[in-house]
Amino acid sequence: MSEVTRERLFGFRHAFDDRVTVVLTLTAVTLFLLAPVLILVATRAANSSSDKRKELWDRYRSWIWLALFILIPILAGAFWTILAVATLSFLCYREYARITGLFRERTISFIVVIGILLLTFSILDNWYRLFVALFPLTVALIAIGGLIPDQPKGYIQRVGLGVLGFALFGSALGNLGNMANDWNYRPILLLIIFAVELNDIFAYICGHLFGRRKFVPNTSPNKTVGGALGAIALTTPLFALGAHFVWFDTALDTPVRLLGLGIIVSVVGQFGDLMLSSIKRDLGLKDTSKLIPGHGGILDRFDSLILVAPAVFHYVNYFVGFAVGQQQQIFTGWKI
Amino acid sequence: MEPWNLQPAHDTGLTPSERFRSVRRESGLLESLAHHACFSLLRSYFAIAHRLTIVGREKLPAHGPFVLAANHCSHLDALALGAALTPRHRERAFPIAAGDVFFQTKMTSTFSAIMLNALPMWRKNCGPHALADLRLKLQEEKAIFIIFPEGRRSRTGSMMPFKHGLGMLVAETNVPVVPCGLIGTFDALPAERNFPRPGAIKLAIGNPLQFGSIANDRSGWSQIAKSVESNVRDLIGQSRAA
Repeated sequence: MSEVTRERLFGFRHAFDDRVTVVLTLTAVTLFLLAPVLILVATRAANSSSDKRKELWDRYRSWIWLALFILIPILAGAFWTILAVATLSFLCYREYARITGLFRERTISFIVVIGILLLTFSILDNWYRLFVALFPLTVALIAIGGLIPDQPKGYIQRVGLGVLGFALFGSALGNLGNMANDWNYRPILLLIIFAVELNDIFAYICGHLFGRRKFVPNTSPNKTVGGALGAIALTTPLFALGAHFVWFDTALDTPVRLLGLGIIVSVVGQFGDLMLSSIKRDLGLKDTSKLIPGHGGILDRFDSLILVAPAVFHYVNYFVGFAVGQQQQIFTGWKI
Repeated sequence: MEPWNLQPAHDTGLTPSERFRSVRRESGLLESLAHHACFSLLRSYFAIAHRLTIVGREKLPAHGPFVLAANHCSHLDALALGAALTPRHRERAFPIAAGDVFFQTKMTSTFSAIMLNALPMWRKNCGPHALADLRLKLQEEKAIFIIFPEGRRSRTGSMMPFKHGLGMLVAETNVPVVPCGLIGTFDALPAERNFPRPGAIKLAIGNPLQFGSIANDRSGWSQIAKSVESNVRDLIGQSRAA
């Protein structure tokens, strides 16, 4: 393992090398310090019920845990970041498998879990060709695993659900881990996660302020056209500004390309949200679980990130590339 | 194509600690691995420390649903019965354990659920709906219940009369009840001891009993309890004599 690779994987001293990381971390800390005051003032002013107040505080407490779960690994090093992404993949898949009933199909679930483990290894190893190969290979294995019970009835359903699960929570989310193979991964990941979460909040606020026409009433009755457009209008320039500093003086650093990336984050993020709404509505559920007090399940919180990860990865990869100049096949690169 | 028949987990919408205490709990991949690991270890433990011998294992039905009903005088009883099951059976085997002992705190309920796959039975205020939930689970999930119809551990080692609850689970269904006689667990770990001492344990498995034609009412339940009780008594008697 080269010195550069070791520093990228475990070098927490580089945590604040990039100013965007500093700004975003400070913003997060400030928001967490201000939020209690805002909650107190708002609940007093609106004379909220104790249930409403409890829900807000639950949400706040959960946000602190979530922020720590996101911030600490990213700042600590790429190794921890990749493990955190793998944990997120497993937790998301677990919830998905339980709400769809796929968890009862032990063989398929086992193959998906093995697939996610191998993906994580390919990311840690910075072996992008293995990462790419694992998608069709795992799909093939799922198709084979579905044969094992020798029950053709329901074959398409269990294999289809397995493939969708692996595609969304393994391959798509795995792109977040792959970004950690870039030397400057910290501001990139923080910016994306920040923008996606802000995008949700902007859509919520704008929906309340200017939301009149329903957007997709059957999928998600609370979403409005105003909310969706408002989120795009606010997230896009903010993200483009951050991205300008992250990819300063690269091929991506033109106004059109930066705004294009901002639009992708906002639009695809909202589609991710709608995707989970559709899944839940199809199953007749409100939340995917009750793991996070005040939020619901892990999927309810991270739904927007799932589709954004591959979209941003490949957009950036097209213009500048990820992990340029980084050691490849860190563990498997030995020659006989 | 088959109509869509995959259902969300029955415990969807419960918080983790509610889930561990719920009889609607369904295990995931990791939990199944944990039960398998736990019972495989217990199997070796019983083989080494208690020279566990099992008579009549071939009488167990090939698959669930069925109920294993045994005499109860030690915490080792449920573990010995669980260890006697094949890995295929174990996946769906649920020891029914006293809520006030095994599910009182978060720690114990997490352990009981993850390691033992136990389901709680609340002895103080268990209404008929608790048994109705278990009855439903037994049939719907093709489950295997390990139950002790005496309702508590015998403090003397001799068997006490069986309670009606067993009847409420199986009356008017074709779920077989397999009577089981355990010998040696009282000497190994009586209620007042904290740690087991080595000593031979014997498990005798009887022929499955069906109660499809017995009415699902008080007299039917009592008839079922009596019938299973006399079968277990016979098994213990025969094993002692052998």
